Amino acid sequence: MSELAQLIEQSATRLFEDFSDSNAHELMEAGQFPETLWSDFLADGWLTTLLSESDGGSGLGLAGGCVLMRLAGYYSVPLPVLESLMAVYLAAESGFTVNDELLVPAIISEPLKADSEYTIRGVPWARHASSLLVILSSNNETRVSMLSCQSVTIVEGQNMAGEARDDVTINTTQLNDSQSLSGIDIEQVKSWLALGRAAQMAGSLQRVLEMTVEYANDRSQFGRAIGKFQAVQQQMAVLAEMTSASICAVDAAIDHLASEQEWELIACAKITTGESAGYAAKTAHAVHAAIGFTQEYPLQLNTRRLWSWRDEYGNEAQWSAKLGKHCFQLETDNLWSWLTTQTS
Amino acid sequence: MKKLYFTPVITGEKEAALRAEVRSFLDHYGAFNVSNIIDSWSICDPELSRALAEKGWLGMTWPTEYGGGSRSYLERYVVIEELLAAGAPVGAHWVADRQSGPLLLRFGSEEQRQYFLPKIVRGECFFAIGMSEPNSGSDLASIKTRAEKVDGGWLINGSKIWTSWAHVCHQMITLCRTAPPSDNRHAGMSQLIVDLSQKGITVRPIITLAGEAHFNEIFFDDVFVPDNRVVGQVNEGWSQVVAELAFERSGPERFLSSYQLLEAAIKELRETNLMQQAEPIIGKFVARLMVLRQMSLSVANQLQEGKLPINEASVVKDLGTSFEQELPEAMRLILATEPRSSANGGVARLLSDSILKAPSFSLRGGTREILRGIIARGLGLR
Ligand SMILES: Cc1cc2nc3c(=O)[nH]c(=O)nc-3n(C[C@H](O)[C@H](O)[C@H](O)COP(=O)(O)OP(=O)(O)OC[C@H]3O[C@@H](n4cnc5c(N)ncnc54)[C@H](O)[C@@H]3O)c2cc1C
Repeated sequence: MSELAQLIEQSATRLFEDFSDSNAHELMEAGQFPETLWSDFLADGWLTTLLSESDGGSGLGLAGGCVLMRLAGYYSVPLPVLESLMAVYLAAESGFTVNDELLVPAIISEPLKADSEYTIRGVPWARHASSLLVILSSNNETRVSMLSCQSVTIVEGQNMAGEARDDVTINTTQLNDSQSLSGIDIEQVKSWLALGRAAQMAGSLQRVLEMTVEYANDRSQFGRAIGKFQAVQQQMAVLAEMTSASICAVDAAIDHLASEQEWELIACAKITTGESAGYAAKTAHAVHAAIGFTQEYPLQLNTRRLWSWRDEYGNEAQWSAKLGKHCFQLETDNLWSWLTTQTS
Repeated sequence: MKKLYFTPVITGEKEAALRAEVRSFLDHYGAFNVSNIIDSWSICDPELSRALAEKGWLGMTWPTEYGGGSRSYLERYVVIEELLAAGAPVGAHWVADRQSGPLLLRFGSEEQRQYFLPKIVRGECFFAIGMSEPNSGSDLASIKTRAEKVDGGWLINGSKIWTSWAHVCHQMITLCRTAPPSDNRHAGMSQLIVDLSQKGITVRPIITLAGEAHFNEIFFDDVFVPDNRVVGQVNEGWSQVVAELAFERSGPERFLSSYQLLEAAIKELRETNLMQQAEPIIGKFVARLMVLRQMSLSVANQLQEGKLPINEASVVKDLGTSFEQELPEAMRLILATEPRSSANGGVARLLSDSILKAPSFSLRGGTREILRGIIARGLGLR
């Protein structure tokens, strides 16, 4: 890890650890925005993590951002960390001036009809945002519009972790005034968002593993710690395997950013974290038994996020299908030569 | 709780050039002398081993003073994964190159290194692993084969079983009891290098369910081993065996055993126009393979740094052997063909071979349950 990444880790850990003492999760799940946390987050200057130095950022790019996201996942931070950072970055790349307001990305994949209503489903944190950054593809070009949230209709919804996922209805004429996001393909934007989620999931998986190991060593039944039972140990070993595979997959994807294999390794990261999420949640809950099934016990903060996040920005089946299709299309007719370009 | 480290590694130009060299070698080598390319590292072809030796691809990481190539573990990784992906029958030298040589480098005497390593590098000396016994599999510390001290050496009596390629190998590193069992179950064992052509040794083949004469039973009847063939310290064999495992468990052979089937399945699905329904399944397995490569490379890099990542190696082996076992199970459901054991069966033959060989993947080198036990210990549960 680079020195800068280490710095990110140190200061973000300090900030996020403080968060966990607050009642922010309850606030958020009751539909309120955790303002205090958000202003601390802004005060530390995290919003511009992805921006280049010339745009007033720290120049850490998505790689550095992913370090932050992994920690946000580890601590179940109830803020739009991925969404706000990505939207600010894309806005800056499209030439919008950005300030310290909450911007969230909303992607439209379908072709649109002129002057008609269109609903974008499940926009993260829309109700709390000041503006929406709508990203779509038109004439083979990625275009970006900034819409004030005052100008759209929002129907509130939430994912299994209580995070806002709102349906936003716009009129397509609102998108007429758009900027070109030159040099960035919409598919690339989707994959970056998937990588950010995968990084959060990797952090969350690590936390689930740690909590479960700790619990297995603390809780006694039949006169010994439940972690001493082989049936428990064998499940925990697989949990550790899948967690370390997920972390490795995310790290590998980060290392391959801006390379020719960028999306393939991101796909791989989202598939791996997605598959691990289900196993991790199942196992952690099995080991914790009834106490873990309560709202009071914090395991659910991670597991409900894992269950939600694995389906966001493309689930395992969707990314696998894309990767599989690519394998069938390989011109060289040779899977191996393609696979081995990834590490050289 | 010990953290598991899998920092990804990006290989460079040197490795890319080497990769190209291996591919070109294989392109020019011609057909292998075997009919089965599933699990090719459990198939022996001494001729191929010697050809690879000539290229300098045996003992690659060992110091030049012993005939080695002084190359990195990453370079070795590239060579072995290319050979495995091509289905090359590399079994003859596999154990010597992977673990016996490194064991001698770590614990062996100077004389042993000078005697054995150059021979291994030249493809003239193959090693077998003499650990398991009829009544000691997972519980290796319970072995009964004993070596008694006699003038100038040791006298071995007992038997070993499941010894891969003992009928082809020249030497075997044999784990023996050299002191009676005590409270410390792991004390009192030693590793002895046994020349398999010695008087008093009987090797009897055991045919696998796939019909192959792969492993053997070995009987020792007063077999004499001179003092200078004890590896490392007498009675300290156990810790040496444990060190060997980091080499034994983390390589690409732990997930590429059924790889040939994946390539053939993709071709077949394309030709029979069954791509669309297969995409998510192929993508899922390819993603798993991509991560396993990253993890295994990362372990290779840790070996390069002089570490002994035993827990990480167990993780690679457990995830890897699950992958290579599940692959045929998934492919059979998307391929429109029944497995066929006949000689020219194409993808149906690969399916058959991989289904028949799959059970062994998670047994050899330590069973799934044992590996998970090791990982659990690393987590602090045991
Ligand atoms: C193809 C092949 C090649 C081999 N080559 C060699 C070789 O070259 N040299 C060599 O020395 N050996 C070799 N082996 C032997 C291999 O190492 C053993 O098969 C393996 O260690 C398991 O021992 P076992 O077969 O006696 O099974 P057992 O130890 O009897 O195990 C039977 C079952 O019980 C489970 N079990 C055992 N103990 C525990 C425990 N404590 N907790 C939970 N579950 C447990 C096992 O996981 C397994 O499922 C080879 C095996 C195969 C299949």
